Amino acid sequence: MLADLIQNTLDGLGAGAAYALLALGFTLIFGVLRRANLSYGPAIMFGCYCAAWTHANFGAGLLLLALVAVAGAVLAGAYVERLCFAPHRGGSAIAAMVASFALWMQFEELATLVMPRHLYAFPALYEGGPLALGPFTLRVESLAMLAAALAACALLWWTLYRTRFGLAVRAVIEQPAAASLSGIDVPGVLVRVFALASALGGVAGYLVVASHEQITPMLGMWSTMKGLLAMMLGGLGSLPGAVLGGLALGLIEAHSQWFFGPQWRDLIAYALLFVLLAARVPWMTTRSAS
Amino acid sequence: MDDYALGVLTNVGLFSFVALSAYLLLLAGEMSFGQQAFFGIGAYAGGILTALYGWPLPFAAIAAMALGGLAQFLLGLPTLRLRGLYFAMATLAAAEMARIVFELVHFQREVDGQLAGPDGTQGFRGIRWILEQDIEPPGYLGIVCLLLALVLAVFLRAERSRLGATLRAVGEDPELAAVLGIDVRRVKLGAAAAAGALAALGGVLYAHHNTYIEPRNFDIMLGVHSLAYALIGGLGTAFGPLLGVLLDIGVLEASRVFQGYRMIVFGGLVAVLLVFRPRGLLDEKAVQWLRRRLS
Repeated sequence: MLADLIQNTLDGLGAGAAYALLALGFTLIFGVLRRANLSYGPAIMFGCYCAAWTHANFGAGLLLLALVAVAGAVLAGAYVERLCFAPHRGGSAIAAMVASFALWMQFEELATLVMPRHLYAFPALYEGGPLALGPFTLRVESLAMLAAALAACALLWWTLYRTRFGLAVRAVIEQPAAASLSGIDVPGVLVRVFALASALGGVAGYLVVASHEQITPMLGMWSTMKGLLAMMLGGLGSLPGAVLGGLALGLIEAHSQWFFGPQWRDLIAYALLFVLLAARVPWMTTRSAS
Repeated sequence: MDDYALGVLTNVGLFSFVALSAYLLLLAGEMSFGQQAFFGIGAYAGGILTALYGWPLPFAAIAAMALGGLAQFLLGLPTLRLRGLYFAMATLAAAEMARIVFELVHFQREVDGQLAGPDGTQGFRGIRWILEQDIEPPGYLGIVCLLLALVLAVFLRAERSRLGATLRAVGEDPELAAVLGIDVRRVKLGAAAAAGALAALGGVLYAHHNTYIEPRNFDIMLGVHSLAYALIGGLGTAFGPLLGVLLDIGVLEASRVFQGYRMIVFGGLVAVLLVFRPRGLLDEKAVQWLRRRLS
């Protein structure tokens, strides 16, 4: 019993690290734009499909595939930003969100047009078996994902609080009008934040498909839903919140799946989000979200 | 008209109900990602009442609408205090919970020697009231159109009345509306209940048109689509959501010109359209202009 509990915790942390990475990108975009980008997951899927296509046609190595995934995600992210968010800056949040959903549909159909099978194999990140920690096992992929999440969080913190670009980003988040008046190129900052978040998403997506060793068109919806859920749980627009929210979501899912089965796992995760929102817990609903 | 065209037109009518429910909430200033839940509740409740208990469809539809309205009213009590994305996420969480509950429900009874009723992920087969009553596809299309026309008439009448002005005032600026003496919470709860009932009506009709429903029919795709239909059609008149559904299902799917590329075309069109018309094709200004022209 206790052994299962510990093993589930280890598995949950691995899954949670992936959610944390997804939530970091989401929250970064939300922080500067005050808009949820529904196309965030589908843009990641686009990058990963580019990598899967490269692998199928040229059999490229792991590092190159990761680069292709990140480049594809950034490219797709730039397209989303130009078409859905740049035109609606200061305008309708609903229009921006519906537009990002429209592009989601495009990415999904594009993926199935280029690679029509439902499932494609993806080269594994690590060929060996899981690490043994006494009676417990920990997948190397989970460890890599945890390390990537922590590294991404540290890197983002450093960028935001120790660079001039970070200062500009924080100014845009706190006081967009004042930032603009003091000579900060606000649209430029937004584009670069979008690119940064998309790159982060590309890394997350690559690690997820490489650890599952397969890719399906469900990846887009999966990334958006898990990223949104983790971001909301941790509090909108907060970097540590995104990491904690992701890890919490992973742990909750792992334990509830073991106790109640896969359908209850999702039910419990959504119920928790609903109850926390309805109760208006302070860390979740203090930021204004239009 | 061949069966395919009839089917497409019936679908346009059916999805108009859920698009109108998203539109109603948008007018009240709320963006819901969860209208699919009430569509689903209507479909399951109506199907159970006709297929398992032998109710006639009209009574089943009224009961399902009451249930859908009550469900969204109750959901509105804790969630309508939330704003913007928080409300959208709360409705999404509730709708996903409803979908998973549909997956978990096994409620089967023997009807005429055969098992019928919801069977979890296997879906709910044999909602045959329409076939048993010998209603042909054109007849059913007529019923759907008649109900839709009725709903539209109510919308158009209400929008030109004090009630419509109140609703738009609440949607535009709730603080100002409250200062003017409008009970904002009551208006929003009323809109939510009406939207739930409307979506449920669409669901009942959908279940009896298809004779088969499954939990997957009521996932987030349906919810966000109905929101998109309402927005691209336009927030100026209740004809807007209809126009949205007609553009997507009626023109793009039925014309089969863009076979295999439909979503790429539609998605691009929507995004570009919203750049130029963020409140849709038939927005308030367009409607005013049309009204002046027509009168």
